[in-house]
Amino acid sequence: MKKERFWTNFWKELRRNKLAVAGGVVVMALFVISFFAPFISPYDPEQINVEEILLPPSSNHLFGTDELGRDVFSRVVFGARISLKVGFVAVGIATVVGVFLGSIAGYYGKLADSIIMRFVDIMLCFPTFFLILAVVAILEPSITNIMIVIGLTSWTGVARLIRAEILSLKSREFVLAAKSIGANDLVIIARHILPNAMAPVLVSATLGVAGAILIESALSFLGIGVQPPTPSWGNILTSGKDNIELAWWLSLFPGLAILVTVLGYNLLGEGIRDAIDPRLRRR
Amino acid sequence: MRAAKFKTFLSCRRVNLRTKVLSYEPAAISAVLIGLIILITFTLGCTQKEAPKEDSGVKNKEASHVKSEPAYGDAIIEGSIGDASNLIPELASDSASHEIADLVYGGLVRYNKDLITEGVLAESWDVSDGGLVITFHLRKDVSWHDGKPFTADDVMYTYKVMIDPKTPTAYGGDFLQVKKAEVLDKYTFRVTYKKPFAPGLISWSIGILPSHLLMGKDITKSSLARNPIGTGSYKFKEWKTGEKIVLESNHNYFEGRPYIDRFIYRIIPDSATMFLELKAGGIDWMGLAPFQYKRQTENAKIKKNFNKFKYLSFSYTYLGFNLLDPRFKDKRVRQAISYAINKQEIIDGVLLGLGVIATGPYKPDMWAYNPDVKKYEFSTDKAKELLNEAGWKNTDKDGILEKNGKKFEFTILTNQGNEEREKSAQIIQRRLKDAGISVKIRIVEWSAFLKEFIRTRKFEAIILGWNIPPDPDLFDVWHSSKTGPDELNHVTFKNAEVDRLLVKGRGTFDQEERKKCYFRIQEIFAEEQPYVFLYVPDALPIVNARFKNINPAPAGISYNFIKWYVPKNEQKYVELTQ
Repeated sequence: MKKERFWTNFWKELRRNKLAVAGGVVVMALFVISFFAPFISPYDPEQINVEEILLPPSSNHLFGTDELGRDVFSRVVFGARISLKVGFVAVGIATVVGVFLGSIAGYYGKLADSIIMRFVDIMLCFPTFFLILAVVAILEPSITNIMIVIGLTSWTGVARLIRAEILSLKSREFVLAAKSIGANDLVIIARHILPNAMAPVLVSATLGVAGAILIESALSFLGIGVQPPTPSWGNILTSGKDNIELAWWLSLFPGLAILVTVLGYNLLGEGIRDAIDPRLRRR
Repeated sequence: MRAAKFKTFLSCRRVNLRTKVLSYEPAAISAVLIGLIILITFTLGCTQKEAPKEDSGVKNKEASHVKSEPAYGDAIIEGSIGDASNLIPELASDSASHEIADLVYGGLVRYNKDLITEGVLAESWDVSDGGLVITFHLRKDVSWHDGKPFTADDVMYTYKVMIDPKTPTAYGGDFLQVKKAEVLDKYTFRVTYKKPFAPGLISWSIGILPSHLLMGKDITKSSLARNPIGTGSYKFKEWKTGEKIVLESNHNYFEGRPYIDRFIYRIIPDSATMFLELKAGGIDWMGLAPFQYKRQTENAKIKKNFNKFKYLSFSYTYLGFNLLDPRFKDKRVRQAISYAINKQEIIDGVLLGLGVIATGPYKPDMWAYNPDVKKYEFSTDKAKELLNEAGWKNTDKDGILEKNGKKFEFTILTNQGNEEREKSAQIIQRRLKDAGISVKIRIVEWSAFLKEFIRTRKFEAIILGWNIPPDPDLFDVWHSSKTGPDELNHVTFKNAEVDRLLVKGRGTFDQEERKKCYFRIQEIFAEEQPYVFLYVPDALPIVNARFKNINPAPAGISYNFIKWYVPKNEQKYVELTQ
């Protein structure tokens, strides 16, 4: 009953926030595009055609062609798949690791808490992007490695959030009640505490997807992310940079795609946060 | 300028490395100084310096001769993708270092504009005893930049450095052929070879080092690496790492004072940025990328302010196989890959037609070039046929061939920063997929590329380039004894007949005889396909139009650099010239 009211309120709040709705639409659209990429794109995104190098946008090639004559529109569409995949898998890893370590730290406290939270502090001391650069340079660059590396370097925020939530929840009556009937720790954490602590995680995950997409684009732009011929927004931008005076369309379209996507996730994430946080709730 | 060594051309853009043996060319971008790099070097580059053919620089000649008198003064700023590593030319194998060193130091001989050997520090030389003995008569009017006179002792010192096993040089091999070196008097130097050695004379184009500054010291720790003192046409002034190297003209240069007072080598590690600098007037000279040549320099403003040149470069790009890999040991597999690749498509797509198909390690305008070797016309069907014959069958219908249950998959490695090579790799990847081979591309930063993959032979296939020295001797790259970690036969090619021909070819002075050897070697290469020889790109230098007297010749445009000048009324950096 209480739960249902929470979600009803949540939806109501979210829908009232026009920006959040716009963000939601963008995110949905991205899913549709990724899912139907082979049907949407008019050409094979990896088909090289040396007779059609760097053609400007036209009715044949909506976004023009790149330096190997590949259709930029098709590449941007397929690039959405990579971005979503990287965004979700990386955030998934970060969330799982963060929730796991954060729960242990928050629930058990004492030594476990100290060790885990100091480790978090250490992780936060590294400039994340450079840490990722170093790791990817040692490992072979590939989509899988990038997803794992981004995931394993961005769980600290989630861990701190969960720990803070658990600290405040673990002394609440329903937890005491569960303890008093002899439930074990795992059940208490998983069944009783976590469901109540997930709201801030949802927000941080949504914003995290945007961050992961940006990092993936940056790595691909530098040539150590997604490897050719697989299209990614970042590596289309690289060829845009190399031909910036000749082919504005190579920079503009993947750049816009990144902008709109990241903006969409951010708007949605902030909308969710506002909708969840009662203090911000307007009457 | 010969010296017979090899630099690897790595990339076209971006570059730089410090490795002893392999060196690369920052190519595209670092225009065109030295006449030719004579050492075989790994080229990093795509379009490359040196070596000319036609002049598309339109009004260059007329303009330069009609107007105005030669005048001293002004400065020229050349853009380069990579910084130099070591300004002692014996110790560096990257082209940036050699470009600077060639201005600061001089050899006994060099190639002139028509690629004929002429004297520099040697006034003349006598060859006797069937070519086994060369006696150099040195110039008596040469002094080092610090004022000390140049003598035969300096030559002797340089020789000793080259044969010292402790010297980390890639270029010692030619000097180990010398049986005896003697200083006959202050200005006479004689070398005696063990047996006839065709590249012997031109090997003395190596920069001669000042013995009075180095004798008895550890050359690897010498301050000359950063503050060189030579006998060349320009004196070293300053080097700001990663930014620029500045040279000043040597007023006492024995071939006459260079007209241009200052030479500045600016390091700009990105081709697009460099081109913007060129247009803004920040640099005067660079090597263009094909797109820049074809599409960005065709407007009236550029044509008025710059002269551009186009000629076949002295370099080629290849796809090399690791012949230690059992799959590539089968000749039919290598031939199949040659059939599967459409070389013309690469030239059209990557070079925009600015280059020619390579059929072997020489370029079409050399005497050693054999035009009648087996060519591999693009044919995916033939490729599949050969692969089938070699046991590669598509059994599970996924489009990728298998043999003994293993899929045919391999990785092509190339260096970062060379856009032409990256694009070629993608085109090859696509074509091989059609033939049933799955290819991955891995792009690695240059020094890691050499250290971790080339040296250790941990690669399956690579796209790289070699420069092509005018002398056809390729012993260091193809002889089966040259497969050590720091040596240049990194694909581990071993062929007894080639070994024999290489030894024979360098062991005679008779050009016809040599030609026969090298023709046969090219036939063997064409049959064996240890590399898929891809293309010889055009060199595409562009120079600000205020510089006059640039006359392209077979050796490139920079052979007469000291004769370039800017008429008084067009000089730009006047304040520099007192």
